[in-house]
Amino acid sequence: MPRPNRTALVSGVVALLIVTVAACSRPKAVVAPEVSPSEEAGQPVAGADRGDATQVQSEPVITTAEVPAEAVSASDLPADIEQLNRAGYLTDAFFDTDKADLREETRTTLAANAAWMKAHPTVKLTIEGHCDERNTGEYNLALGWRRAGAAKAYLVSLGVAADRIATISYGEERPFAQGRDESAWSQNRRAHFVITAR
Amino acid sequence: MTRSLLAPAACVLALSLPAHLFGQEELFLHVTSPGLQRVIVAVPEFERRPGADAQGSVTFTSTLRKDIDEAVAIALLADERVRMVEVDAANQVLTRQRWRAVGAQFLLQGTLSGAGSQLVVEARLFDLASGEVAYSKRLQSGTSLAATMAHTLANDLVHLFTGRPGPFLSRIAFVSDRSGSKELWIMRWDGADALQLTTHRSIAIGPSWSPDGQWLAFTSFLRGQPQLLLLKPTEGYLKPISTLPGVNTSPSFSPDGSHIAFAAGADGNTDIYVVPLAGGSPERLTSSRAIDTQPAWSPNGRQIAFTSTMAGSPQIYLMDAEGSNVRRFTVGDTYADEGAWAPDGVRLAYTSFIGNRFQIAILDLRSNARSVVAAAGNNESPCWSPDGTMLAFVSDRTGKKQIYVTDPAGKPRQVTTAGNNLQPAWVVQLQ
Repeated sequence: MPRPNRTALVSGVVALLIVTVAACSRPKAVVAPEVSPSEEAGQPVAGADRGDATQVQSEPVITTAEVPAEAVSASDLPADIEQLNRAGYLTDAFFDTDKADLREETRTTLAANAAWMKAHPTVKLTIEGHCDERNTGEYNLALGWRRAGAAKAYLVSLGVAADRIATISYGEERPFAQGRDESAWSQNRRAHFVITAR
Repeated sequence: MTRSLLAPAACVLALSLPAHLFGQEELFLHVTSPGLQRVIVAVPEFERRPGADAQGSVTFTSTLRKDIDEAVAIALLADERVRMVEVDAANQVLTRQRWRAVGAQFLLQGTLSGAGSQLVVEARLFDLASGEVAYSKRLQSGTSLAATMAHTLANDLVHLFTGRPGPFLSRIAFVSDRSGSKELWIMRWDGADALQLTTHRSIAIGPSWSPDGQWLAFTSFLRGQPQLLLLKPTEGYLKPISTLPGVNTSPSFSPDGSHIAFAAGADGNTDIYVVPLAGGSPERLTSSRAIDTQPAWSPNGRQIAFTSTMAGSPQIYLMDAEGSNVRRFTVGDTYADEGAWAPDGVRLAYTSFIGNRFQIAILDLRSNARSVVAAAGNNESPCWSPDGTMLAFVSDRTGKKQIYVTDPAGKPRQVTTAGNNLQPAWVVQLQ
């Protein structure tokens, strides 16, 4: 198995690792004081200068302040991918029971997502297809795949380059709401947008 | 023990009955074993010779009696009837007549002997109608394997009477979240000795056995996208089967073990593919724009059942194993998924949506007759025992998803308790 590239990693479930991998590539002099304010100024944090993701992962906090000036000028977006996702630039799309068809309001949502993607041409994302717990697990993997595919196809039809959008299905395996009623189920029938690169 | 030989006919309800009639008598026997005539076997206690290990003898005897009592195709002659028979060693014919008079059709007699840590079992099965020896066997092993010796003997009896492998050394692989993530587990068919097979802390689902019991195929999110992996449970190593882009799910081995059918596809579509295990590229069998998933290879290898939404709702279809001659199989269901062939190849169990709940349905290919069992809660993922007399399935009747296995009367018995437990896959014997 070849070592996955950054995009492949992001499309997995190791978002935290990605943040730290990204941090590794940045100048250590900027990183060190921010990561560990209690350290003496100028003293490198152990591991931070080795380019070793495993070492860096144990460090507590990485903030936007560590981003070099040229990176900030390249984009008006937060550097931290997690923060970028929390900021809510992209809205998830919701589906009817056992359907992957795009509802009218879903198309509106997706059109807004497409417009934002076109305004930020370096951004890449993964669309995750999710299902409620009804239907069987294996069927839901196929249904979630279909939902992710439908959302991607609509963005592509609106002019977003297909190679900027990865898709994955989690079926019913990663529910957003835990309840066993329609209010929970309706939350779980979605295409979830995750920004993986800025 | 006595047991009603015929379950009430009312246990099989027609699909058209309203939902409130469900959940009264929950017996699967008439759908798993239609027309069952149990063979009544008398099993007087085996004669224990000097030198036979005491603990091993007790374990062997109790295990053998429990197994035969659990065998769907065999009924153990009640103890009080066994005691009624006066054995006349000088007159075999008269003794046989006495056994038959109390209702026995077969007589299993044996001796336990051995020395030290070795236990020797010699058993003979007499056909009481003819007086002939229908079966005889000598087993020798360490006393620690006394239970396994009993299971082996009981399996032989089931095979003798049904022509199919007995369940007593069988195991069920399944998915459990009891460790915090969905991992593969394995347990004995009665729920004992559960063992965790994977510790990926990812998502492992959809286990499917190779016919020889050596390999488990399953879907893993270990490397991000869901891929198909093969696991050898006795050795623990993994190898990838299909890493096609997108999803790779619901593997099903061909009966000769040479190929795996599965569902995969790019851009949101899923089709049925087949990949040779010896190496080679996956070949696509279906090409609809609908969801095609859950392939299930028929026991004779000629057909593959699968779920498709090509007509709107999920329904089960059949096709020839080469992908041609696709025809719809389920017609009276609003939702049909998870087709599971009975070992006889003429019945298919599946998950149907009836009365706002998921229920196990069984369709007979010869008659097109469909049966649904009145069961509590949602019931899904049916899986046949290797001899086709029992069903394992998943029910959420307790609030969590648990695996149930039907008992000799056809009544579901809960065999898991910790966490949620899903997708049972039954194997004759772990190799």
